[in-house]
Amino acid sequence: MDVLLVEDDTLLSAQLASSLDGFGHRVTVVGDGQAALATVAQTSFDAIVLDRMLPVVDGLSVLARLRQQGISCPIILLTALGRLAEKVEGLDGGADEYLVKPVDPIELNARLSAARRGREWAAPQKDTITVGDIVVSPASHRAWRAGEAIDLSKVEFGILTELARNAGAVVTREMLYERLWGPEFVPTTNLAEAHMRRLRQKLTAGGRNDPILTVRGVGYKIKE
Amino acid sequence: MKTKVILPQSLRTLTLLFLLMFLAVIMATGVTSYIATHATVAALVDQRLATISDALISDGQGGLQGVTARVVDASNQRDTADLGYILRGPGGKLLFGNVRLMRTPPAGFSSLDRSAGIAGLTHGRAFVRELGGGASLTTIGETEPIDNYNDARLAIYLLGYGSIVLIVLGGVAAFSLTIGRRISALNTTAMAIINGDLARRVPEGGSRSEFDRQARTFNSMLDRITALMEEIGNVTGDIAHDLRTPLARLRGQLMALQATAIEPVTTRGIRDAIEQCDNILAMFSAILRIGEIEAGNRRAGFALVALADVVAEVADMLAPVAADQGQTLVAQAEPGIEIAGDQALLVQLIVNLVENAIRHTPRGTAIYLSLRRGGGDAIITVQDNGPGIAADRRALALRRFGRIDKARDGGGHGLGLPLAVAISTLHHGSLSLSDAAPGLLVTVKLPLG
Repeated sequence: MDVLLVEDDTLLSAQLASSLDGFGHRVTVVGDGQAALATVAQTSFDAIVLDRMLPVVDGLSVLARLRQQGISCPIILLTALGRLAEKVEGLDGGADEYLVKPVDPIELNARLSAARRGREWAAPQKDTITVGDIVVSPASHRAWRAGEAIDLSKVEFGILTELARNAGAVVTREMLYERLWGPEFVPTTNLAEAHMRRLRQKLTAGGRNDPILTVRGVGYKIKE
Repeated sequence: MKTKVILPQSLRTLTLLFLLMFLAVIMATGVTSYIATHATVAALVDQRLATISDALISDGQGGLQGVTARVVDASNQRDTADLGYILRGPGGKLLFGNVRLMRTPPAGFSSLDRSAGIAGLTHGRAFVRELGGGASLTTIGETEPIDNYNDARLAIYLLGYGSIVLIVLGGVAAFSLTIGRRISALNTTAMAIINGDLARRVPEGGSRSEFDRQARTFNSMLDRITALMEEIGNVTGDIAHDLRTPLARLRGQLMALQATAIEPVTTRGIRDAIEQCDNILAMFSAILRIGEIEAGNRRAGFALVALADVVAEVADMLAPVAADQGQTLVAQAEPGIEIAGDQALLVQLIVNLVENAIRHTPRGTAIYLSLRRGGGDAIITVQDNGPGIAADRRALALRRFGRIDKARDGGGHGLGLPLAVAISTLHHGSLSLSDAAPGLLVTVKLPLG
């Protein structure tokens, strides 16, 4: 992906840029809002990572202007403050994601992919998602594997749906918690693992292969 | 030395006491002045009777005939004709009389009323002077120059004093109502502030009255407190922000190092360091979040929350986690209990309590989550039969960073319970820890509204 990184802290931007580079993205770095607007006017990007607190023109204003100009690529806001009101403000302003610093590069990478997929998925052709031999129907809260209905709990169903929506990309634990229980939810136990274990048991019943990969220390991915 | 004066404390008692005292004084004044006027009139009439009687007798000049002539003359004179005269000669023989008495009054002054039988006389005085040998001169004067004058005077008194009493009663009622209303306005505001609505102010008029001045002073005090609170919030936010940025850099550097590390010992060391970084960052997030919740702004977004659904959701969420730890989680919820609240925060509240039980108890522990109604509250309890917390350490557990036993801690930043307390308080509720004998019982009471 061609990513524009707008961040005024040079050390942080260097770190993030090098990490994103490591994930195979082409990163352009600018240090303030004015420069960001000027750069976007000349070049098109697949995604923009935007710090909320920027010199000259702040992140929220940059976001608003980009959306006014009809720039529809995914935009991820970064902030040092994690208050819910600010988060809502950012998302209402047209951001796809709102991440609190420090951002784990792996998490940022996962969110970038998810945001892009989210935009592609925005107008689904059908009300079901199909990944390999797995079919998920978010509308009827049902799932099938190889044509056989699987009896899932609400949480397990939620996890499977998120994985299926982001098939082929990593879904981090934070993303799961956010999607299932809201942007503020913070557990202190290994919630995701406990439910994932049960989901896997149900998906692999009858000796079927495990469709879910665990990306250590990051999250999970369903094979496309 | 402080002297102790026992005074009634309530506004109502003070008002009643004042009114009673006022009524007693006004009645005493009325009665006294009524009696005094009466006595004064009688004394003046007595004085007139004595003077005229003296002039008629004139030390006996001209003998009884002379007296008779003067009495007759006086009874015809315009200025003395209003009096009654009865002149009796020796042996009590009536010589002259312009009035008739049913019975002869005793010598000296005496009072007369209707029973004296004089037409037109309701109240009067009689003065009887012995003239020797059974002869006597009786002069009679009215103390009530107009008929029913006394009754009219009583009515005037009642009307006069009555209107004073009415005015005072009305004044006192208005006064105590005004003061009462001002005090209750102050109270309502103070209560709202205690409950976290820091934006609440006492209503103030634009006048220079003591009440408005007091309201303004009170409100400026609240403005100052709010400013201080905001400053504290900003400082906390600034600290968290300022420390987050260098921590973010540190974490980034560690991540970069981890990518290049070859030795397993180094890799493990770096991973632990990143974990420490994450713990500190989680702690900052929790501090900011507790601050945000304590500010009370979240009440604006309150909506009806079905608590049984929240309990069921948390049970579904955490039962597998408990099972993986060899523990059991059983939930029981009375249906139909709703409160105005923040659903996401209420989920977090119960999650924190149950996770706390999961993390701090050994395998084999049974954890009970329950919801019921009791005394106008929704009562949520989380009970375990684990080791519990000693009575003297329970308060510490609710304090920020008050972790009981760091060695036994199963993770977390020690802010789970304080966050639960902040969420309970946001919902006007309370959270308490007690002994489940054995184990810990956490009780959250949220008022039903």
